[in-house]
Amino acid sequence: MPKITVDGKLIDCKERQMVLQACQDAGYKLPSYCYHPGLSIPASCRICLVEVEGIPKLVPSCQTPVRDGMVVHSRSPKAVASQKQVMEYLLINHPLDCPVCDQAGECSLQDYSYEYGRSQSRFEEDKAKKPKKDVGDNIYLYSDRCIMCTRCVRFTREVSGTSELYVDGRGYREEIDIFPGKPCNNKLAGNVVDLCPVGALLDKDFLFKQRVWLLKQTPSISPVDSGGENIFLEYNNGVVYRIKPRYNAEVNGWWISDDTRYSYKIIQNEKRLKSAFKKEHGSLTKTSTREAFDFAVAQLKSLAAQSSGSLYAMLSPMMACEEAFLLGSAIRAIDPEAVLILGPVPSAEEDDIFRHSLTGQQTFVIKAEKVPNAEGIRRVISQLGGPSANYNELISGNNPLLKNLKGGWIVGGYLSNWIKGALPAALATGFRVVQDILPTTLSESADVVLPGAAWAEKDGCWENYAGKIQPFAAAIVPPEGITREGDLYLALLGRTGVYNAQAIRKEMGEPFAAVSLPTEHVQAPAMEFAEL
Amino acid sequence: MAFNEPVLTKRIDADPGKRKLHFYDDYVATGGYKSLRAALDMTAADIIKTVTDSGLRGRGGAGFSAGQKRSFIPREKKGLHYLAVNADESEPGTFKDRYLMDYDPHSLLEGVAITALATQVDVAYIFIRGEFHHEIKVTEQAVKEAYQKGIFGQGGIFGSKHKLECYVHMGAGAYICGEETGLLEALEGKRGWPRNKPPFPAIAGAFGRPTVINNVETLCCVPPIIERGPAWFKTMGTPSSPGPKLFGMSGHVNKPGVYEDELGITLDYAINKLSGGMKGGKHKGTICGGISMGVLGPEQLDIKLDFDDVRFRGGCLGLGTAGMIVMNEHTDMIRALRNCVRFYAHESCGQCTPCREGSAWMKKILDRILAGEGRARDLDMLLELEKSQGIMPGTTICGLADGTAWATRTFVNKYYEEFAAKCPEERPTQMGIKRGIRNVTTPMGSNTR
Repeated sequence: MPKITVDGKLIDCKERQMVLQACQDAGYKLPSYCYHPGLSIPASCRICLVEVEGIPKLVPSCQTPVRDGMVVHSRSPKAVASQKQVMEYLLINHPLDCPVCDQAGECSLQDYSYEYGRSQSRFEEDKAKKPKKDVGDNIYLYSDRCIMCTRCVRFTREVSGTSELYVDGRGYREEIDIFPGKPCNNKLAGNVVDLCPVGALLDKDFLFKQRVWLLKQTPSISPVDSGGENIFLEYNNGVVYRIKPRYNAEVNGWWISDDTRYSYKIIQNEKRLKSAFKKEHGSLTKTSTREAFDFAVAQLKSLAAQSSGSLYAMLSPMMACEEAFLLGSAIRAIDPEAVLILGPVPSAEEDDIFRHSLTGQQTFVIKAEKVPNAEGIRRVISQLGGPSANYNELISGNNPLLKNLKGGWIVGGYLSNWIKGALPAALATGFRVVQDILPTTLSESADVVLPGAAWAEKDGCWENYAGKIQPFAAAIVPPEGITREGDLYLALLGRTGVYNAQAIRKEMGEPFAAVSLPTEHVQAPAMEFAEL
Repeated sequence: MAFNEPVLTKRIDADPGKRKLHFYDDYVATGGYKSLRAALDMTAADIIKTVTDSGLRGRGGAGFSAGQKRSFIPREKKGLHYLAVNADESEPGTFKDRYLMDYDPHSLLEGVAITALATQVDVAYIFIRGEFHHEIKVTEQAVKEAYQKGIFGQGGIFGSKHKLECYVHMGAGAYICGEETGLLEALEGKRGWPRNKPPFPAIAGAFGRPTVINNVETLCCVPPIIERGPAWFKTMGTPSSPGPKLFGMSGHVNKPGVYEDELGITLDYAINKLSGGMKGGKHKGTICGGISMGVLGPEQLDIKLDFDDVRFRGGCLGLGTAGMIVMNEHTDMIRALRNCVRFYAHESCGQCTPCREGSAWMKKILDRILAGEGRARDLDMLLELEKSQGIMPGTTICGLADGTAWATRTFVNKYYEEFAAKCPEERPTQMGIKRGIRNVTTPMGSNTR
């Protein structure tokens, strides 16, 4: 393994690694704009120029491979002069409208200007004026703020493979643009906003909503498909404002799909179920969660007492594994022969595969299976053992196990209305406790309706299509009136205490017991107590 | 050292009225393709050795040894090799390649074929500047002839086993595509943004394959070298820069045009003997090799025009393409520099920050000086900005930025008084408002408004 010395620090590198990457891996910061580990290296922004002993010129550290014994100076007078000059150059045509810029607070220009720039500009001429452009359904381009790092252009060529963005013009007049009538609307388009080191590419969805320094981050997992993309939920005052990708080399790399990016909107959906209902005199009336829950438990217990094997629990692939485990155990505690049914697993026809526009190499996959945890629920059901079935068997009625079901606990939680068309006969009869986050024809005809918490409001873990179990943490508390499923199921089991995903995973045994949040993301538990 | 007869221009009459376009028959009748036939009997290594021995240096501007360049191409062939002919002649003041293509296109094609033999090239691209409509037509016609006569094509060069395809590729008129890797990118159908080196084109050039890139004039020098040998070639020019050279004389001279002479003639000779002397006044300065090389001052008429003297004694970047722009005493040097910098600001490809922003900034400063708003600190600013760009300090990917730097450096330093006269020291006026434009460099909070 080669070792290099950067500013007097000895840094271990991998073979054929670039100096900049080696420094970043070792936690030593060198400035960079155009360099992104997930894209090709143009070495064009020139902010990362360093002095290497034995080379008379400055060299771009992003593009200089390490050599054992290399001595690099990033704070030598020559390198510092170059950094200062590049910063000054980048700012001469920059509007410096940080007070109204969404990027302010997470802007490389601001950071490097502070660290490497000069306090004053000597530019006395008129700035070049460039227009604002609407480049896609979700993206604005403020070309005047752009520093031409071309990360976005390279992204659309090398990752999404759609090549919508290009560089128009030449020299100081050049701008990023789209081809006429061809907006940047691919399913990964939102990533160009994350990539932009300055405030040039902005998300219309987040525009002017929140200053970024107010946002807090919580690690989470994408709820939209079985890929299990790693994300950060960014929130303030109990409101999730945006979702950003979280790097995971094995799963999603640096990118997330736009479906994931805007999936947080379910949390703020106006139609969300926010209180419990129970059927009284043939119609659903609003009630407290406690009352509805007690009513449901009493009814289920009496059904179970009449005959064994008459209860079922429909475990939704939107549930966390821990919740599924608790609900499954609870329903079996009431009726040992209860049937565990895997809820519907909606699926698109095929995976969306993205390829490098030139090499054709596969860069990103959006999975066809549009739920995050079908694998995890299957695993939980098989770990719990006993009678089980799936949703199709339930609605077609082919499975003899399902002939004499009298009541069940049905969990939805899907991001959109999951009952398409008429309510299936199997779901229209018997005593039904429905726990969901959006109203459906099922919740309208159920006997008890319990509001569910969205994934951003609870802890848990999901298993992606490849069998990788990934934990996620609660960013915010559920709206008033909603009790987290975990707490309800603990009550259903007759246990006291607050739902703690990590402790439940220990109970569940392997492979769940070994799952825990990456240590850098573990936060002190929020002091929230269940309503019950 | 003597230059007795024209070499590159032997088919081009000195009298413009008698010049004639030489196609295949005329070319062969005047001794054309003899060298190619001779080269077919030589081994690749021999051809490279002959060219290296001749000391031929690239005529495209950098003056790199042409033989050495060929020797970088891997000997063991593992796939296609390419040759890219740089006919994207866009340097202001340079019009020599065009002259050769205008009248003697087959000498270029012969050079292409010999170079292809030496470096086992399979496909040659002649990258011609988009504005050269006539030259494109002529060269295409010549290439067509060469195919018919069995030089190019799958029949092999004159029936030998070495096959060579040749295409004329039309550029879109960007100066940056004359930079060798910018040219390769444009050739591949991409935006003409120069590549980072390494890898050098000799290892991974066009389409990722080993590629030789040569200027038109360099290739035209190859057939005479093969025909008459390196020793003869070395009788012309200076020991470090042997051979004939086309000098493109323009500006304030009586007879502007392309003249062939040996390397190492003095500037005085070039102006007074080749191009009929100064017009309209005394010599004030000469841009020696396209504007990127900088300017030779009024007292530098004794500078020898070769690749080294211009650089070491003349204080310029080099001889460049030897496209001389001669300026007489009435020339406004600030205007001249502004024109050069305007060109670079316009032609900067926009990839590297220092060149993209710096050239535009310098242009704006010069515009302001010309508008009578110059201040003494502008000159310091210009001299500081030029130092921060170019491949020599390592701040840019390609050498285009060096053009801005050297033009500014030489102009401002050699004509400092003239610049300083337009850039007076600042005098605060009554209200404390500095003369000229708004003052944005005042520290925040200081009460100068």
